[in-house]
Amino acid sequence: MKRGIAGVLVGLLIAAVAVAGLGAPIRIGICKIVEHPALDANERGIIDALTAAGYIEGKDVEYILASAQGDPNNAIPIAQDFQAKGVTLVVAISTPMALAAAEVFEGTGVPVVFSAVTDPVAAGLVLDDDDPSQNGNVTGVSDLIDVAGDLALLKELSSSIRRIGIVYNPGEANSARLTAIAEAAAPGLGLSIVKAIADTSANVPAAAQSLVGRVDAFYVTTDNTVVSAIDAVIAAAEEGNVPFLMADPTSLRFGPVLATGFDYYKQGLLAGDIVLQILTGKKPNQIPVVYQTGAEIHLNLDAAAHIGLEFPASLIDRATGIFFGGASWLRSGD
Amino acid sequence: MGSILIHAAEQGFAYGIAALGVFITFRILRFPDLTVDGSFVTGAAIASSLLTSMGVDPFLTLAAAFGAGCIAGMVTGFLHTRLGITDLLAGVLSMIMLYSINLRIMGKPSISLLRVATLSDVVERALSPLGAVAILAVLAGMTLLIKFVLDAFFRTEFGLALRATGDNEAMIVAQGVNTKSMKVFGLALSNGLVALSGALVAQYSGFADVGMGVGTIVTGLAAVIVGGSLIRSRRIGWMTASVLVGSLVYRVAVMFALRYGYLIGFQASDLKLVTSLIVIVALVIPTVRERLMRKVGSC
Repeated sequence: MKRGIAGVLVGLLIAAVAVAGLGAPIRIGICKIVEHPALDANERGIIDALTAAGYIEGKDVEYILASAQGDPNNAIPIAQDFQAKGVTLVVAISTPMALAAAEVFEGTGVPVVFSAVTDPVAAGLVLDDDDPSQNGNVTGVSDLIDVAGDLALLKELSSSIRRIGIVYNPGEANSARLTAIAEAAAPGLGLSIVKAIADTSANVPAAAQSLVGRVDAFYVTTDNTVVSAIDAVIAAAEEGNVPFLMADPTSLRFGPVLATGFDYYKQGLLAGDIVLQILTGKKPNQIPVVYQTGAEIHLNLDAAAHIGLEFPASLIDRATGIFFGGASWLRSGD
Repeated sequence: MGSILIHAAEQGFAYGIAALGVFITFRILRFPDLTVDGSFVTGAAIASSLLTSMGVDPFLTLAAAFGAGCIAGMVTGFLHTRLGITDLLAGVLSMIMLYSINLRIMGKPSISLLRVATLSDVVERALSPLGAVAILAVLAGMTLLIKFVLDAFFRTEFGLALRATGDNEAMIVAQGVNTKSMKVFGLALSNGLVALSGALVAQYSGFADVGMGVGTIVTGLAAVIVGGSLIRSRRIGWMTASVLVGSLVYRVAVMFALRYGYLIGFQASDLKLVTSLIVIVALVIPTVRERLMRKVGSC
């Protein structure tokens, strides 16, 4: 324990020196798989967390930002470029970027902090999410959403909801995992899952249409392919006159009846907090994987009125935000 | 700087094998084969599944990947020659089918090879005295070996018949060669190489992703065309060499775009634009030089 305290003190000293600007600015490489509102917000959150802690960009810290522009083949060159530029720490947003960074920086001692990775254990990034001692130089934040909670919300919406339609891309690691979780959780809630597959955003309309009349509600997880063609799912849900729950709160104004999930900006802040812990002396193998909690519930009253649905009071009480009369309203004090 | 060039060269050779596959269909057979976007992943999927679930020797996984790629190519060949489906559509159909098949092989969209012994790990251990260039040496050695075997093959009677199938089909039919079988063979060989490249890239990258095949045809064609404009020759040895040069140029362009793009005001979201601009410059340089030489000569 004494050693731990000493380590923290030394770490704080090093950080203080860095913050004081006596050393050269720390170089941090931040990479993401693609330009996407959620991932961009994540990136901003990381930088804001560091800025708030006193790391001034250009003076104490220098950011090298990179995007693979949607091509996983760019992930390795980006990580190698970070290595050549001598980064002190890498933040990798999304699973493929995290895998590439973990491979390139394996055994180098350069910490890799991931963010927006749904299942870091299944992806092979870390051995154990709870006990970090064997995880080497990798740790980070998982965006695993509360799928069972979402399904329960749909049930709470109306007892007549039994069949849930999920449109997803089986090629997205995160989405495939969440759909599997939904399938495992559904029977326990008295629900059944009907899946429709869209491997590209162009195929989302057909997939969504195929579910009309066969399901009592639509559910879309954090699937980038489907999210980029979300209007098609909204149209299908309206055509079927059924509610649609989307696990992305930023999408509420586009027309799902319900939106749940995490704020990716706040998730970036959590990743930034891990970065700060490492900069102040902690090792990645002392920091367990952080699972974001406190999923928000957002209700779209306009969309609900459109299909003649009324929200139960229990749901309205818990909502963080509502969309009504063409505008968003957030609960005050939130 | 040095290490970054070594990495770019490693990738140039690893993806170069796929470019050789694309070269066989596009230049030799004159068959616009889009199967490769799928078969590249098939190779990566076979190799990573064998490595993680069965602990197969990394070198053996390359052979398995090659075999699987050959089968994918044969399916495209069958669709085209026996069922009469046009070349482009036959390739597209195979590519789409492979997407589902690749997911079946992998069982999930992304497989990590961080905690298994891959080719890179074996090579780094076996050739540790070579240090930073160990992997480059092995990738270059393998790719050049494939290149020379291909060269030798294309000089055999059978290889010449394959080249003639693309150059002058009517003539070679008159010679009594079954061009349908030739096309199927060429497609199998091409996709076998592409899948082998996918298996190498997955082990080099430390992961296989079902999305990693998107654009194989584009980067493969870029290598073929860039190489072909830098080295203009009708000799088969020079033609295959030009493909590898093209692949190296392309990967160096990606590295330069990443490394120096910001110096000229480009940001992260401009990566693909900068990469393409560098390739355009590489393409234009020989033409400009030629024109200048001609001008100087005429003066």
